[in-house]
Amino acid sequence: MRAFICGFGTIGQSVAKIIKEKQEFFEERYGETLIVVGALDSRSFITDSEGLDADELIDSKKSTGRVGDKAYTKIMEALDSVEFDILIEVTSTDIHTGGVGLDNIKYALKNGKDVVTANKGPLALKYKELMRLADEHDRYLLFEGTVGGAMPIINLNKYDLAGQKIKSIRGIFNGTCNYILTKMDDGQPFEQALREAQQQGYAEADPSGDVEGYDSACKVVILANSIFGRNATLDDVDITGITSINSDAVALAKANDMVIRLIGEVSATKLEVAPRLIPRGHPLSLPGTLNTAEIITEYAGPITVSGIGAGGLETASAILSDLIDIMDVRIGE
Amino acid sequence: MIVNAELFVNDLPGQLIGSLEPVSLVNGNILGVVHNRDKIIDHRICVNITFEVDDKHLEQLKDLWERRDIVISSLGSVHETYKMDYILIGDVNAQYIEGLIKMINEATTIDQISVSYSSKSIRTASHTSLISVKARYEDNLDKIDTILRKECKKSNVTYVRGV
Repeated sequence: MRAFICGFGTIGQSVAKIIKEKQEFFEERYGETLIVVGALDSRSFITDSEGLDADELIDSKKSTGRVGDKAYTKIMEALDSVEFDILIEVTSTDIHTGGVGLDNIKYALKNGKDVVTANKGPLALKYKELMRLADEHDRYLLFEGTVGGAMPIINLNKYDLAGQKIKSIRGIFNGTCNYILTKMDDGQPFEQALREAQQQGYAEADPSGDVEGYDSACKVVILANSIFGRNATLDDVDITGITSINSDAVALAKANDMVIRLIGEVSATKLEVAPRLIPRGHPLSLPGTLNTAEIITEYAGPITVSGIGAGGLETASAILSDLIDIMDVRIGE
Repeated sequence: MIVNAELFVNDLPGQLIGSLEPVSLVNGNILGVVHNRDKIIDHRICVNITFEVDDKHLEQLKDLWERRDIVISSLGSVHETYKMDYILIGDVNAQYIEGLIKMINEATTIDQISVSYSSKSIRTASHTSLISVKARYEDNLDKIDTILRKECKKSNVTYVRGV
């Protein structure tokens, strides 16, 4: 099968690397391989119907800042320049408009391509529309990488907990906030913890999407729509960020054997992102950049999963599982 | 209902079993028994029993114990309580907290409420406060949550609740 990687930042590069490393696995499982026939970044693209080499693409990106040698005015022109089966959409997230990712996903589905994405924006804004489009064109739109990075949650609910009613899901869905709050547990003030998170590369130069709770809210919306069958958008989420959490509050929690964590909560009636008091030792009291989710199920009770919530290879691992899902159906095991 | 009873039985063989049998006779379910041999009053030994029973059988049970010469020292219901903590961050002073507690008390029944303040800001009028509540029914916590959410929003106070 042939894939086109749209977006060649950390995640796009990691996906290319993993696909190259897994050639033998694909060959054994399907009797054929998955090749990357196109790659695109914000300024350039490159295609080869015989397959592109991941190392060469990454070298080019690192040395020139461009993945390819061709320029484009419209992404669709690049997408039309080579035949492919699966679009891997990993351009940067725009939670206000959906950005180019939204257009790319729509275009690919309309043109009969399956889509795997880790881009939260389009799904948080237009979930129903995109899923309807996928249905109409008998295509797959899979997005395990949008929530919790390496932490399996969407496919876990879809496959392993199939048939059970999911009563609620609550969890830590933003590693940056968790890093900051963990540093505050150790006595650092918010501003200093935030600066450290930026220096470590966990927080962006403009951290508002993380610390004001919007990133977590996107994930809450995606879970609400994909697992609870709701038709939610960001506007439906009650959002409180962590910017008003001060050292006093963290110390008061600590004195009472608790910590403060930014928790996203989804149920049939609730959509919320807010700082919450968590007893030490509780599954939701995890430190550092980890993500975790506590799924309350009909028969199995609470199930807790955790994993690294961001990072190239970690998110690419979620994309790999979606690619395998599609290849299982399209080629058969 | 869940009931805890402190009984005193004669210090004779078979008396412990004799104190438990009546609970079974009224279809009660014994959850725990402590035979306290150190607590002896007037040649009687203390037995503490926690059991589940239909409250309409409670009088019948008391009769059965009394007929067996068992002294009932105390008998009370045991309630499950639901605990929730809230931290309030912002322009919060003791008067504000008192007002909130008054509202909570008027709207619902709570078993226990306690307030503590951060030591760092104790010198100033505004404190970060921790309110700990124990309520008898889970839906009481929902009512408290609604009150705090509304009032804190109105006063531009950040409130952080437990899970």
